[in-house]
Amino acid sequence: MVNTPMLNTVPVTVLTGYLGAGKTTLLNRILTYEHGKKVAVIVNEFGEVGIDNQLIIDADEEIFEMNNGCICCTVRGDLIRIIGNLMRRRDKFDHLVIETTGLADPAPVIQTFFVDEDMREQLNLDAVVTVVDAKHIHDHWDADEAQEQIAFADVILLNKTDLVSEAELQDLETRIRSMNIMAKVYRTQDAAIEMNDILGVKAFDLNRALEVDPQFLDEDAHEHDETVGSIALVEAGAVDAEKLNAWLSELLQTQGPNIFRMKGILNLEGEDDRFVFQGVHMLFDGSPDRPWKPQEPRKNELVFIGRDLDETQLKEDFRACLV
Amino acid sequence: MSGLRKFSLKQARRGQLRDYGTALAWTPDGAQVAMASAAGEIVLISLDGAPQQVLQEADGQSIDVLAMSPDGQFLAAGGQAGTLLIWRLGESPELISRLDNPRTWLDHLAWHPQRNELAMGLGSYVQIWDADAAEVVTTVMFESSSVLDLAWHPEGTQLAAGGHQGIKVWNCQDWDEDPQIYELPTVSVCLAWSANGEYLASGNMDRTLVVWAMGNPYPWQMQGFPGKVRDLAWSEFWLGEAPLLASSSREGIVIWHKHQNDDQGWNPQVLELHNARVSAIAFQPQTQLLASASEDGSICLWADAIEVVQLLDGAEAGFSALAWNPSGTALAALGQAGDWLLWQQRRPKTGFF
Repeated sequence: MVNTPMLNTVPVTVLTGYLGAGKTTLLNRILTYEHGKKVAVIVNEFGEVGIDNQLIIDADEEIFEMNNGCICCTVRGDLIRIIGNLMRRRDKFDHLVIETTGLADPAPVIQTFFVDEDMREQLNLDAVVTVVDAKHIHDHWDADEAQEQIAFADVILLNKTDLVSEAELQDLETRIRSMNIMAKVYRTQDAAIEMNDILGVKAFDLNRALEVDPQFLDEDAHEHDETVGSIALVEAGAVDAEKLNAWLSELLQTQGPNIFRMKGILNLEGEDDRFVFQGVHMLFDGSPDRPWKPQEPRKNELVFIGRDLDETQLKEDFRACLV
Repeated sequence: MSGLRKFSLKQARRGQLRDYGTALAWTPDGAQVAMASAAGEIVLISLDGAPQQVLQEADGQSIDVLAMSPDGQFLAAGGQAGTLLIWRLGESPELISRLDNPRTWLDHLAWHPQRNELAMGLGSYVQIWDADAAEVVTTVMFESSSVLDLAWHPEGTQLAAGGHQGIKVWNCQDWDEDPQIYELPTVSVCLAWSANGEYLASGNMDRTLVVWAMGNPYPWQMQGFPGKVRDLAWSEFWLGEAPLLASSSREGIVIWHKHQNDDQGWNPQVLELHNARVSAIAFQPQTQLLASASEDGSICLWADAIEVVQLLDGAEAGFSALAWNPSGTALAALGQAGDWLLWQQRRPKTGFF
């Protein structure tokens, strides 16, 4: 899973959210707002985007399951085909936005950009942006898709804030944070947001620092009992690379389907550089980052977002990897 | 063979399209070639240097596929807009059909080898259009994904469509009959029937190549490719057990020679010279000479599909497509920056032969 944004690759924003949450409003903003980018859009819900543009392409969700249904080898065939055609016109756009259907699982879309050779070479995943309807999300809480769309997100727009009270918003935001501590959450009305906050985010860039809300780490208040949640580990000390490797590969093999995303910064024993990694389901990618600064406390920070994760077990197993 | 008649090509014409060159189709007499680009223009170029005919001006909507009917009467085109366009060629080409397929990127068209029937991939369906009668013959469902490639059996008795989970083959005598299924645990990216109709090959996303012999349900599977198997070409002419099968994956080409003994399968021979992705491969009709175009900006001509006898260039941004005329006397190629080039066989010197 190498996704170092190279010169000449096209950044991709994946836009998810339930029908009616405000995806289309956001898309229309992206297409009309003067942000200096030429944006091509692949839409899955026809007829909503009200703007005439040659680079709005329709695609129907087609799941390609390969390797006997291995979850990380599940990709979106329609995207491979349509983007393959679209890349012949790459001088016509410099950013690609993919809208998924309200009921789509974001994982195959994300995986397409890591698994398929053409997608890897020509594009780089910028961020997953999820629009949440602050008023109606409660009707969908139990749906897997709604939880996954939040869990996979790098940026969450808590939209339609004008339709709910501040107390409700607070509660909702806490709940979302407990599911996904990596995402940036913005409160919006009519999906009004700075384009810089959703385009060019570089969330999948390994060298972008892991940003975990420090409050989350202190909080023991994971009062909501969602099956989907975030687990953050912060440990001082140096990691034995071999042990870590063995643990991670075992973990991904046994729990890959339940681990949606993970990210981390590690202090490997005997290394002067920080080691950064990320993963989506069973796809994993890591590389040395910048050197630790002299005054910087050397520590390990890991974040897992997934379903039915056992925090105690993860902590224990990670500690066993320390020297 | 190659020793007797030294083959070489000479540049005959060149020109420029408005954007990435996407598709090529020669007329059956080999005198003209139709070309299309990602900007949407379609032009007809004559080998003899006559002025080009513009069938469609660039309108910003990509044209991605062209197909010439075997009798040379019709040229079909499709692309981003989903509209199927059919011209009747002649002194002044005339647009006779314009069929809209909204929400569809039309990227696969194939004419029946004898009749003026055109197969087109419309999402997960295949539709057959009768150009003489100007009506739909039938619509069949591929079902498991969009159609990623289409090919008629050379005798025109069957139609194959490939995609996720393999290939489906319909019997043209009875379209309502269930198609024969050539199942794969992966995605068929490209497919090709051998010219004698005895073999059907599928290049796959999981870096394999699968070949079926007609009448035998157990295919051969070839592995070890560096990436998806993107393009396939069978030789029309061959000296060994079976036609040669050329396959491309990333910058490599592999030629497959069938072993005498079926159990031994096919022997690979790797052709290495390109240093960027191979974008198209095609055997010269009636010989074993293979032309390969690459994004590295070169075209290699491999005599007997073994050694390079000529290198062609002219598309600095890389080549995107290539096609021989039906007699094999001329080669056309398109570039990613819209350049087009035509080469012609040098006239053989008068003398011994």
